Amino acid sequence: MQDRSIEAKGICKSYKSLFGARSTVLKDVSLEIDADEIFGLLGPNGSGKTTLISIFSTLIYPDRGELRVLGLDARKEKDAIRNQINISTAKPNFPWSLTVKENLRHYAMLYGQHGSDLTRAVNDVIDAFKLGEYADMKFEDLSTGLKQRLSLAKAMLNSPRLLFLDEPTTGLDPEMAIKTRRLVRRIHEEEKISVIMSTHYMPEAEVLCDRIAFLRKGEIVALDTPQNLKNQLRLGEKVIVLYQGRADVLELEKVPGVMSLKNLPGRAEIVMDRKADSLDRIIKIFSEAHIQDISIKEPDLEDVFIELAR
Amino acid sequence: MSWQGELNRYMASAYKNWIISKRNVFTLFELFFWPMISLLSIGLLTRFLEVDETMVSFLIVGAIALTILQVAQIDVAYVLLFDMWSKSIKNTFITPVKSYHLIFGALLFGVVRGTFVFAILVLVSRYLFGFRFMDGGIFPVLVFLAGIFSVAAVIGITVCISILTFGQKADVAAWSLSGLILLISGIYYPVEVLPPTLQLLARAIPLTYFLEYYRSIFIPGPHNLALGTALAALYLAVGLILFDKSIERARRTGILLRLSE
Repeated sequence: MQDRSIEAKGICKSYKSLFGARSTVLKDVSLEIDADEIFGLLGPNGSGKTTLISIFSTLIYPDRGELRVLGLDARKEKDAIRNQINISTAKPNFPWSLTVKENLRHYAMLYGQHGSDLTRAVNDVIDAFKLGEYADMKFEDLSTGLKQRLSLAKAMLNSPRLLFLDEPTTGLDPEMAIKTRRLVRRIHEEEKISVIMSTHYMPEAEVLCDRIAFLRKGEIVALDTPQNLKNQLRLGEKVIVLYQGRADVLELEKVPGVMSLKNLPGRAEIVMDRKADSLDRIIKIFSEAHIQDISIKEPDLEDVFIELAR
Repeated sequence: MSWQGELNRYMASAYKNWIISKRNVFTLFELFFWPMISLLSIGLLTRFLEVDETMVSFLIVGAIALTILQVAQIDVAYVLLFDMWSKSIKNTFITPVKSYHLIFGALLFGVVRGTFVFAILVLVSRYLFGFRFMDGGIFPVLVFLAGIFSVAAVIGITVCISILTFGQKADVAAWSLSGLILLISGIYYPVEVLPPTLQLLARAIPLTYFLEYYRSIFIPGPHNLALGTALAALYLAVGLILFDKSIERARRTGILLRLSE
């Protein structure tokens, strides 16, 4: 198996407006993604996630840069790449009046499948994504969740080696989002398919992705595992104390390991280094007050995102 | 890739167009209503003007050509129009499909629909207006139909190129381009009645030659079928090359993404 699913060097992309002005979407993006990982692209709206996925999937071309997908040159071996990849997008769209089965059949035909292989491929993905009872329902009549499942089913039709998921749980209810995440994990682990996904949803990236690249204004501003990103940014854990009575809260700033403090009436929010062992000193400061509640929140990717998006 | 797999890449577009057409009530208008309106209005006009049989054949050949050209060309254009309207163009172009798979697959369905409409119009024109279209013989009919379908393919390809170049607003070309071509190529009149500049333009359109060829069976006159065929083949080849280039351009400019949003 190929070691790298993506090798990108110096990828640049800009779009031209109607009046000729150019807006830069990606600036000199270089990235290597291992074949055995689920890789996440995170970033605010307009950061270039969808454009980067579209370039990696050869749907659109970069202005500059070198790209190898599954070890193949994206400029010279486009057809070989397209045979081995597939994509599922946010807000999936398919021809409206075709049923689930007809849509899958149509795309299987575009991949050159035929005869009993085609029928088996279509039936397999219908079974895998539990679309059986909706197989004869037209796309326009499907719920958002079913449309997303159809999109994932379509993305598995050609048994891809590399799967791109562009915001795969956008618009799904929480239960369906959880199921979709499980499905992605299963596809990756059981079918040994490389997955590159973009998402807005931090817990999703944290749960699914082995590594994450944060994009901001078309540039990669951080790239690592979720845990290393949290460590690197020195994002402390947040201690929230709810209290009644008097407490010299400003004394907290002198406690070793306290990184920041937010003082509100009856509520103190302390961000502290996770390596510091100062909780007992914090509690002492509130000894004259009546502590109603103490909670400790681990930093999550949301915090990383906020930090990086600044 | 086996030959069956390659064949299925062509058939995919025909399959999609067929399913969409059979569920679309507008198909009845495309296959029956507008063709009948076109034929009946011209047929009745010939009655009103009390034109002779040769003129009847001249006009009805034009009416039939107009109808099957419009049916077949819209089928070719539908290959991208349906994707554009449903914003699913991304799903098509993520696959390893080629421009010629899309065009010839859609054209195949256009040929089936066009032939169906042709058969109806031939029957109606015979029983209502006494015009025996098939008197020319099967070979000239096949040549005439092949000519019309090749022109339809070229018009459909032009519409597809317009969509990939100018985006969503270009779908108006699907309905207007064929009208323009028909006007210039002498659909109800000899091209000699056109202004000199348009006559030059008419001579560059293969449909002009196919109309002259088939009319010459009923009204003997000069025609240049070889030139018409050569032009049709040339335009088809150039059209396919340009369509391929417009897909590549749409990938470079990112219009493929915008058409999916």
